[in-house]
Amino acid sequence: MKLTDMRTYDDAEVVDAVVIGTGAGGAPILAELAARGLRVVALEAGENFDPDEYTPDESDAVAINWMEERLSGGGAPTAFGQNNSGMGVGGSMLHWGAYAPRPDARDLKLRSLTGQGVDWPLDPAELTSYVERVERFVGVSGPATYPWDPSRSYAYPPPARNASSRMMVRGCEALGIRATDAPVALVTQDREQEHHGLRHACANAGSCHQGCRNGAKVGTDNTYLPKAVAHGAEIRPRSRVVGIDLDARGRVEAVVYLRDGVERRQRCAQLVLAAGGVETPRLLLHTGVANSSDQVGRNFMVHGATQVWGRFEEEMRGYRGYPSSIITEDFVRPADADFVGGYLIQDLGAMPQTWATTVARGGGLWGRDLVDAMDDYRYMAGVGINAECLPDERNVLTLSDELDDFGVPKATASFTPGPNEEALDRHATAVLQRIVEAAGARSSMVLSRTAHTIGTARMGDDPATSVVDPDGRSHDVPNLWICDNSVFPSAVTANPALTIMALSLRTAERFLAA
Amino acid sequence: MPDLPTLFCLHALGSSAREYDAVADELAGSFDVVALDLPGFGDAAGATGLSVDDMVASVERAIRRHGSTRWALVGHSMGGKVASLVAARTLAGTAPLFGLAGVVLLAASPPVPEPMDEERRERMLSWVADGPLDDAAAREFVDANVGAPLPPAADLVARDGLRRTSPDAWSAWLTRGSREDRSHDVGVLDLPALIVAGGADGDLGEPAQRELNGRAYPRGTVHVLPGAGHLLPLERPHEVAEAISTFWRERVDLGPVVPADFARVIASGRTPSVMRGTLARRAVADDPDREPRALSAAQLATLRLVADRVVPQDGPAIDLAARVDAQLADGRGDGWRTAGMPTDVEAYRLALDALVGLEALDHDHRDELLRTVAAGSFEAPSARPGAATLSGGELATWFEDCRVDLVRLWLAHPATMERIGFDGFATGGDLTRFEGWLKVGPDEREGWEPSMPPRASTLPAPTEEVSR
Repeated sequence: MKLTDMRTYDDAEVVDAVVIGTGAGGAPILAELAARGLRVVALEAGENFDPDEYTPDESDAVAINWMEERLSGGGAPTAFGQNNSGMGVGGSMLHWGAYAPRPDARDLKLRSLTGQGVDWPLDPAELTSYVERVERFVGVSGPATYPWDPSRSYAYPPPARNASSRMMVRGCEALGIRATDAPVALVTQDREQEHHGLRHACANAGSCHQGCRNGAKVGTDNTYLPKAVAHGAEIRPRSRVVGIDLDARGRVEAVVYLRDGVERRQRCAQLVLAAGGVETPRLLLHTGVANSSDQVGRNFMVHGATQVWGRFEEEMRGYRGYPSSIITEDFVRPADADFVGGYLIQDLGAMPQTWATTVARGGGLWGRDLVDAMDDYRYMAGVGINAECLPDERNVLTLSDELDDFGVPKATASFTPGPNEEALDRHATAVLQRIVEAAGARSSMVLSRTAHTIGTARMGDDPATSVVDPDGRSHDVPNLWICDNSVFPSAVTANPALTIMALSLRTAERFLAA
Repeated sequence: MPDLPTLFCLHALGSSAREYDAVADELAGSFDVVALDLPGFGDAAGATGLSVDDMVASVERAIRRHGSTRWALVGHSMGGKVASLVAARTLAGTAPLFGLAGVVLLAASPPVPEPMDEERRERMLSWVADGPLDDAAAREFVDANVGAPLPPAADLVARDGLRRTSPDAWSAWLTRGSREDRSHDVGVLDLPALIVAGGADGDLGEPAQRELNGRAYPRGTVHVLPGAGHLLPLERPHEVAEAISTFWRERVDLGPVVPADFARVIASGRTPSVMRGTLARRAVADDPDREPRALSAAQLATLRLVADRVVPQDGPAIDLAARVDAQLADGRGDGWRTAGMPTDVEAYRLALDALVGLEALDHDHRDELLRTVAAGSFEAPSARPGAATLSGGELATWFEDCRVDLVRLWLAHPATMERIGFDGFATGGDLTRFEGWLKVGPDEREGWEPSMPPRASTLPAPTEEVSR
């Protein structure tokens, strides 16, 4: 994005706030604070890209992913890298899939309703009001009528239904499952975006995960960040935060970061940490800040994201068009569930390397079976879930004894699904298989995977069991705020980006009111 | 001759396409030899744009017009500098071309300013002060540039080329083109290259070739023709042709070939130039002699056997093991590794050491052994006391990573993309208004798409389930 004419601040100047991270968590609050006239600086570890620099090539597109090594353990080690980690001005929203379901109010009150999991310490209706503000500001496409919530409306008609979309609709229809066009954060008509300029209508290129090259997909780099810069924020790319300086009273005084190999200190009155579910807890653990509860790093969650792929007689070639344009919310609370919570189902069209990775890893294929599977790639179409995950403090992110290139210990994330996740996955797998079979698949393949990194600095009322208060402010350090998916008390079934942005607007208001 | 690879041949200063006649005769049947007249020379003597960049543009136009999708550049002297620039632009994707498989340099002018005695430059410039070169100048030039007198027919071709040369083109090269430092534009060209030097050449003889062109072509093999001067295609057509044939067989014609209609889509405006460059570089043959950088030679050999079982390739194979080694050496990981495992490169080393002896087994037994590795039940033969080893479980984890690395590198090659029916990179182009897909339904194809015929083996399979 264009940063050439932005206002800049001196490291020695005590700015009103430093925001670490420019993704879904950092960008909205940066824009809101700047718009109120605050002097704000965002520190971004990655590069600043121009969309012309993105390539549809899967291997080379790692330029927009966080590819620095993380360690992964537990019963179901989570795959990082291209799977779920972003880097660059725009954060993970450079590579995200733009799938934008709203958080379900029942998921936010899971404990009250089911006795399991935890409640979010906020009013679901209040969160929805922020969700609607985000949707209006960024531009979201969706169906004319949303079956599970007829009250809502979307600004743009849905993107074209590709072969896997039509497959999922067909399968669901045959089974009496309601399925329709999903809410997706891209524009299907040209849109003049305030402070940014013209965003072109989606051209169905299908390479959303490699970076959107025509601005159709919502990123923070074409929405909140240009707004922030227009109001005087500075975005400092290639700035790696390695420390937090506290003053004698235990308040944040400055942020220590490396830029071009030089250690710098940006002084600030307030710090907003928005580096995501891995980097946020890693920095807190490394600095020892805000962890009197010993909760930092705990309750690491991932969404169950099991896929079932059917092999069809037609060439599906699901890499064409927007890759996940259909949704069903019929399983957010399945009637016959032997678990709490639920899951969303979407259709899948994957790029070849992504698909092959899942086939070779989750599917265990090699040799002629693997080559045959890839020869079948053109006939494959899939459906997959995004599933609730309950917090479990044994699933934990810790620091390893290996240092990265900047002298900071690498993170180790350990995740083992619990009985609830396993029961849910069994249920979902059976439903997914029924859908592809009803759609006419000749054979099917179950591929196990997980997505997203959630939790590790949870929000709550009790300073003994949470890291931030219901406003997003650290219980321990009064001028430290955390504003990303690490504060999620539970995973919720919706894909996280829209909720993170909504929470970011909410945290901004609480910040300004404080 | 649609199935033959094409050699686009670029001549020297004061020459023309005709200098390749004898070489072309030798190579007929193996190559489609297309010798070009560069602007200002031969039949193109009337051209007006005479700079190096004009020559580059004219060569790119000619290659595009010809339509070849599997080709090499042959550049003699001045034509060598042009060839290097065309090669660089093709591998970067900035030229609308695809299919460059190798470069042959004949006593070639390097990307950096050409070493040339200033008195000689002045004398040569004096020849065109009043118009084209005369007979005496042509005679003097030929005599100064051969190791031994040319046969009469070749001598005639040489002198005829000189007399037809546009005086402006002659001075443009001597005053500007030869002096331009284009090393930044050329960079390092990592593709098969044959660098031929005349043993009796002057400024552009073997030492200059090794030093100045060798820098740009790390894979360049230097081949010296003893006693030859500077006019190699005229002096030694048989030896030049033989060197090209051997080079092609041993260095170039090794991996899978990208089918022509698919290659044309890569070259077309539908494909973004950055993507075109990526695919161009991946399509280049692997270097059979490259020393491994992360693994030992023995480990690489074992990995080649593993790769052959994990991703069996039909026909000429990509050296996936070498590409894994390069990836490991460059530290290009996938962003994570299983806690408790050694680093990626160390895991490869230990695992491949544990699999030593694989070469002694037949295919079925190799598969059997790899099945035990995948199952976590492989026990490495007793290692040296105290040496680090991977447990059976760790070997299984390594094998999972290894499978992913191999299949991803296989899929990254454009020939594999064609095989599996993937042309999804051909979106956007470099256009302001982006071209995506208009037809996204099952069995729908757009008019520009290549045929990408499915493999016969992809007939409907019986119902099966692969669970985790």
